[in-house]
Amino acid sequence: MSEFARRCAGSLDLVGLHARRLSWPVLFGLLLLALFLMLAIFAPFIAPYDPWEPGRPFLLPSTVHPLGTNDIGQDIFSELVFGARISLFVGFFAAFVSVAIGTLVGLFSGYLRGAADEVLMGVTDIILIIPALPLMIILTAHTSPSIWNIIIVIGALWWCSTARVVRSRVLQLREMPFVEAARSLGAGDIYIVFRHILPNTLQVIMAKFILVVAGAMLTEASLSFLGLGDPLQKSWGMMLSYAFSRGGFINGYWWWYLPPGICISLAVLSFVLIGFGLEEQDRGEMNANRL
Amino acid sequence: MTDRTGYLARQVLRYSISLFIIVTLIFLIPRMMPGDPFVSLLGEEVYYRSPELVTELKAQYGLDRPLPEQYLSYLQNLVQGNLGYSFHYSQPVWDVIAYKMKWTIVLLIPAVILGAILGIVVGAVAGWRRGCGLDTGVTSLFLFIYSMPHYWLAMLFVLIFAFYLGLFPLSGITGGGLEGVQKLRDVLWHMALPVFVLTLFGTTYNYFIMRSSVVQIASEGFVLTARAKGLAEIDVLFRHVLRNAMLPLVTVIALDFGFMVSGALLVEIVFSWGGMGTLVYDAVLARDYPLLHGSFLVIAACVLVANFLADVLYAVLDPRIKGDETA
Repeated sequence: MSEFARRCAGSLDLVGLHARRLSWPVLFGLLLLALFLMLAIFAPFIAPYDPWEPGRPFLLPSTVHPLGTNDIGQDIFSELVFGARISLFVGFFAAFVSVAIGTLVGLFSGYLRGAADEVLMGVTDIILIIPALPLMIILTAHTSPSIWNIIIVIGALWWCSTARVVRSRVLQLREMPFVEAARSLGAGDIYIVFRHILPNTLQVIMAKFILVVAGAMLTEASLSFLGLGDPLQKSWGMMLSYAFSRGGFINGYWWWYLPPGICISLAVLSFVLIGFGLEEQDRGEMNANRL
Repeated sequence: MTDRTGYLARQVLRYSISLFIIVTLIFLIPRMMPGDPFVSLLGEEVYYRSPELVTELKAQYGLDRPLPEQYLSYLQNLVQGNLGYSFHYSQPVWDVIAYKMKWTIVLLIPAVILGAILGIVVGAVAGWRRGCGLDTGVTSLFLFIYSMPHYWLAMLFVLIFAFYLGLFPLSGITGGGLEGVQKLRDVLWHMALPVFVLTLFGTTYNYFIMRSSVVQIASEGFVLTARAKGLAEIDVLFRHVLRNAMLPLVTVIALDFGFMVSGALLVEIVFSWGGMGTLVYDAVLARDYPLLHGSFLVIAACVLVANFLADVLYAVLDPRIKGDETA
């Protein structure tokens, strides 16, 4: 292993990625994610055309246009490359909002216990039961279409499982000797929660974050497909939506609607693989300790 | 028995609160969002037709009265089964939904049942043989399916099985002009692909839950005992492990029902299947808000009922449920 890889491994230790025992799902997921990040960052250098520039519509794939053109003549391959930016952006930001809310709810619910805990967990239970996508459809249908509204709506409705996981971790932590020691030294509740308990929940939070990014990207794709996406941003979901509503699907122009779907699936898969791989590793360690 | 009644009473309370919150949300959302709430409540088509009509309708629907009064009359209407009027369909919202809901349920029920059975069996075997070739292969496949947007997989299937191979129809519920048994066969033929796609997703969700719960249980002491008694592997798995892993699954399948409904909405659109999915799609495109609100209310109510039934079933199946213990 090179020196660089070793140094990366050191910083990844914090979130539970141990480089020495990186299993194949995690490794494959990280590689795939790196690929999509490169695509997003270097989009202007990779894409052969401006994805907004109209031209001759419905061209077949050729050497000039690798994936043909859409209904107003924009180059589909360039759209695809720039789409990585929007889709990853929405995924990361929505996951950030939802995990932040979930972490706060979980921290306070687990640390304060009693009435506060019951109210917060009661609310969590109720939101968990309401079917999320239909409610998101209503909320986004009432606001003007923009990626920020999509991010807020996903973030505001998807924090429940994070809150539950963080809460159960905090319930364990608050009884540990180091928390008692801090309390006996006269530390306040807020200080203990953010300085001592939060850092110890990072691993659970990170695992949740990875899976929520995946879910948020899929949800953005679904909302966009329903015509609730941001018409000013080219996400993969919007490409699918246009391909479906403007004749690409009915006419069997697979080069228009297969590539964005493959991109969404692979990008989501990269997060799912990392999340799944880490979980399996933890379980392996737990079982090994038990025997 | 009294313990069980206490448990069920608490569940009834919890679901009543959830339903109340959903109903209140639908009342509040159009009134709190930016823009004129009348557009949301009457539908865009009406709003721009004529100002006189708007004033008349405002008075008719009581939209010019104070909020608490509106809320009361809204609740009263709901109790009477009045969900408003869809201007896009020119019909009461409830009539439209009652017709479309039927077709969504026709898709959902086989998919949920098949998905549960397949997910449980395959997940249990994979979890039992964790790490072997079969587990790795099947798990990879399901991870990939889990990562696909439902509607895109549906599009892919249409492309392959309907467009190129011509094995199944491209879209719709029935070709039309048929009666009796022939019509039934035609409908079954049309629903094969959408049900297959939904079943795949249902299987995927249940697979991962079942697999991890079997992996967890497999290291328990009683499994070792069962093996030590000399039971065949198959008997240990299906008689001892599965029985313990099944219980939490009842609740999980009910929770997943919500996901399945969302999935069905999207898959329906691809197949032009005339159920709730195409209804919601049309309502979004036409910005027919009364219809959207009604659809959401009915879908949410169905999901709540499914979850409540699962909780009742759980109470019946698990003799350990005690009402006096607060969880």
